[in-house]
Amino acid sequence: MKILVAIKQVPERDAQVHIDASGTWIDEAGIQWALNESDAYALEEALQLKEKHGGEVVVVSAGPERVGSTIREALAKGADRAIHIDCAMGRLDALGVAQLLAAAIKSESPDLTLTGLQSDDLGYGQTGVILSELLGLPHSSLILHVEKTEQGLTVKRELEEGWFQTIELPLPAVLTIQSGGNKLRYATLMGIKKAKTKEVRRVTAQELGTTATPVVSLARISAPQKQKSTQMIGGSPKEAAAALAEKLKFEARVL
Amino acid sequence: MQPARRDDWTSDHVWWLRSPMTSTLPVLAEPQHFDLAEKLVFAGLAVGSGTLFWRRFGPILKRILASKKDPDFRLRPLGRRAWDFFWEVLCQAKVIRQRPLPGLAHAFVFWGFCAFALVTLNHCAVGLGLGFLDPAGWFGQLYFYLAAAFALLCAAGISGLFVRRFLVRPRWLGEKLSWESGFIALLVFLLMVTYLAAFATADTSEAARVLWWAHTLCLLVFLPIIPHTKHLHLLLSPATVFLSRGGFSRIPPLAGDEDFGLVAGTDLTQLVSLQAYSCVECGRCTEHCPAANTGKVLNPKEIVLGLRSYLSELGPASAESLLGKYNSQEAIFQCTTCGACEFQCPVGIEHLPILIGLRRGAVNTGAWEDDHGGKLFLALERGSNALGMSATDRDKFVQKLELPIFDGTQEYCLWLGCMGGYDPKGREIIADFVRVMRYLDTSFGVLRKEKCTGDPVRRLGNDLVFQQLAEANLEAMALNNVKKIVSICPHCVRTIQEDWKEYGTPPEVEHHSEFLARHLEQLPKIRGEEKIVFHDPCYLGRYRNVYDEPRAVVRASAQLVEAPRSGERSFCCGAGGGLAFLGEETGERVSHVRAKELVDTGATTVGTACPFCNTMFRDALATKGSGTPQLLDIAQLTARALPTVGPSSAN
Repeated sequence: MKILVAIKQVPERDAQVHIDASGTWIDEAGIQWALNESDAYALEEALQLKEKHGGEVVVVSAGPERVGSTIREALAKGADRAIHIDCAMGRLDALGVAQLLAAAIKSESPDLTLTGLQSDDLGYGQTGVILSELLGLPHSSLILHVEKTEQGLTVKRELEEGWFQTIELPLPAVLTIQSGGNKLRYATLMGIKKAKTKEVRRVTAQELGTTATPVVSLARISAPQKQKSTQMIGGSPKEAAAALAEKLKFEARVL
Repeated sequence: MQPARRDDWTSDHVWWLRSPMTSTLPVLAEPQHFDLAEKLVFAGLAVGSGTLFWRRFGPILKRILASKKDPDFRLRPLGRRAWDFFWEVLCQAKVIRQRPLPGLAHAFVFWGFCAFALVTLNHCAVGLGLGFLDPAGWFGQLYFYLAAAFALLCAAGISGLFVRRFLVRPRWLGEKLSWESGFIALLVFLLMVTYLAAFATADTSEAARVLWWAHTLCLLVFLPIIPHTKHLHLLLSPATVFLSRGGFSRIPPLAGDEDFGLVAGTDLTQLVSLQAYSCVECGRCTEHCPAANTGKVLNPKEIVLGLRSYLSELGPASAESLLGKYNSQEAIFQCTTCGACEFQCPVGIEHLPILIGLRRGAVNTGAWEDDHGGKLFLALERGSNALGMSATDRDKFVQKLELPIFDGTQEYCLWLGCMGGYDPKGREIIADFVRVMRYLDTSFGVLRKEKCTGDPVRRLGNDLVFQQLAEANLEAMALNNVKKIVSICPHCVRTIQEDWKEYGTPPEVEHHSEFLARHLEQLPKIRGEEKIVFHDPCYLGRYRNVYDEPRAVVRASAQLVEAPRSGERSFCCGAGGGLAFLGEETGERVSHVRAKELVDTGATTVGTACPFCNTMFRDALATKGSGTPQLLDIAQLTARALPTVGPSSAN
């Protein structure tokens, strides 16, 4: 099975972000970059499918020079080769990125295409869905688990409030992967050394023949308002504990 | 040799050549006139024994020499090597120090053997009619008497060791009784007896001839038994001690793109192979191992013997994994890297580079799969600290304590570390140490951002993440012009000072116990009757050789009580080697065993000097219920005597 994983480089979780002068994006100077979290799970799912059924895992990522380090990380974790769409992410919207990805993916004609559910920076959750539309393939989103069957795929999809849905769909298909379905593997020294010899094909937007003009643009970004609120939970200890557990589970979402 | 020579030699004219004992004391009897047949029989047996010996020893030597060269091996400085050889081999210091009675018995046997080198050479020469030491000459007589004294001690020593092994049977020597050991002990004993008995006969007597042959046969039987039993250490361990890497837990650098640590036989270096064959199976390592003592699979002695079996059966060219049949992955990852094994080993085996080398092999190739370990690695690949918390948590703590940011003008860079920056108890220690530094008017600052020093990943064998962390930190140090670091964590201190060296030049670093001890005079003290037991952290004691400083700090405010195992024989808290971040232990918890030992001293306070020990004991003591001693870091002990001003609580 040939699996293609679209990955994105985003600011590191601990990065201290500051809004730039334009007020529409963050100041990228001095930012450490990392692989988008749900993309890491998409890659893990792909690697596990490959380990079970054989085949090839190809990663594709759009972005400037700096994206190379994230591509190398994916190769180090076990992807076989990569396509780097060399472009400035700048004002690209989800449609623009999906068009670039679709153009790069078409010639590969993979059996399965995976993306993360959403990016940790913009969080549109659209790229994978638009990509499937552009490729004319069936898709399913919020996937926690993928199983290959004789007919195609059986996937476990996360719904709200702890409900799950099991869906069957044919191949080829596009899935957007939810975080937390698998345990991520760690990068190894051997993986990094092997990654050096793996193929990274660089293409530009011009070579792909896409000239997307964004249809969505950012008007303004701002830091969230800090708020602290304290709630007193009354009642007997038993009631209070139950109410607390309820709040921790569904409001704070830490349980 | 002429039968009449004794008269020639006792010349009254040359009085100083005359032995003072000549006329009154018995002389070692040497049989005379071996006929050709007897000489040929002796020569034949000697050649046979030598051949048997070489057929067993040759392949071992070949396997050691065929192993990979140690990339970082340097023969210099020779002075250190010579001293180790003198102290550990010739003086038998380690052997005696750790187990005084059996150690002394062993030393007697060893010194006996040394004294016998010349005796044995002459003994064999006599068999060929070429004896060169005259038993009646002044030197010969003196030397043979000296050897006789050693023979007595050696016979007594070997008898003692025999009694210990076969009657007392300490469990460290293993379940299985080795008949070879008993047989060798008998041979050694007979060698001594046959030598001593020769003083009671005359050269010409039949008894002298019988004794000579008995002595000879013992020697010739002994020789071929050496290579395939633990007695191989007779030949190898002097070389092992001399050639050891030195230092403590010195982890060798990886050499080239194909080196991932100890993965297969091809990764075993000459030093590792030499050490594997040198093991004398005394079990000192096992006796002190926190894992082996709490029901874990790990037994450091078996790790070394496992490598030996691998080498003997598969050889150093094998591509088969070192973990599997001969050693288990589970055992390797139960090591707390406390280093008690390496510290005690009398034959120069360096267990930590081996254990960590095997971990490197498993982690650098991805063979080790562990939920907790994977989580730790990911936390350090992406984040800044081993606790997996957001770096902003540290920022908040720094703001709350109003810690100055290091800008290159202050004397000290206060290194918070993962525990000091993120752990509630670690923060309390930092808060109190800061109070002390402020009281002393010490200029210090903290870095705006810190990444874990890499200690847990270094000990768990993840070279990729360790390199990233070490390089990022070294860069930050250079950028901020840091010259001197002080840290509350011995693990950080060790990693900064020794392990970062692989990637650059780290700044000077010291542990806060050293800082506090140096400033004791300027600090207020509370003289109390309180009894404090001090627990030596492995990374402060064995790794850094700092034992007195924290004790001085404790003594400044209370009465110091010693645990049964303290100083360089301190028993680990169970947190080291990255184990604080791994899952539940099998068997008994190391921290509980140690905590009980500390509680049993009757102390009202447990003093620590490491935030990891602190967190382990906090949990262990919590299970002991009421009446348990309180737990305080030496910084907290010191801060108690300070006037209460400024922020006193960290959280």
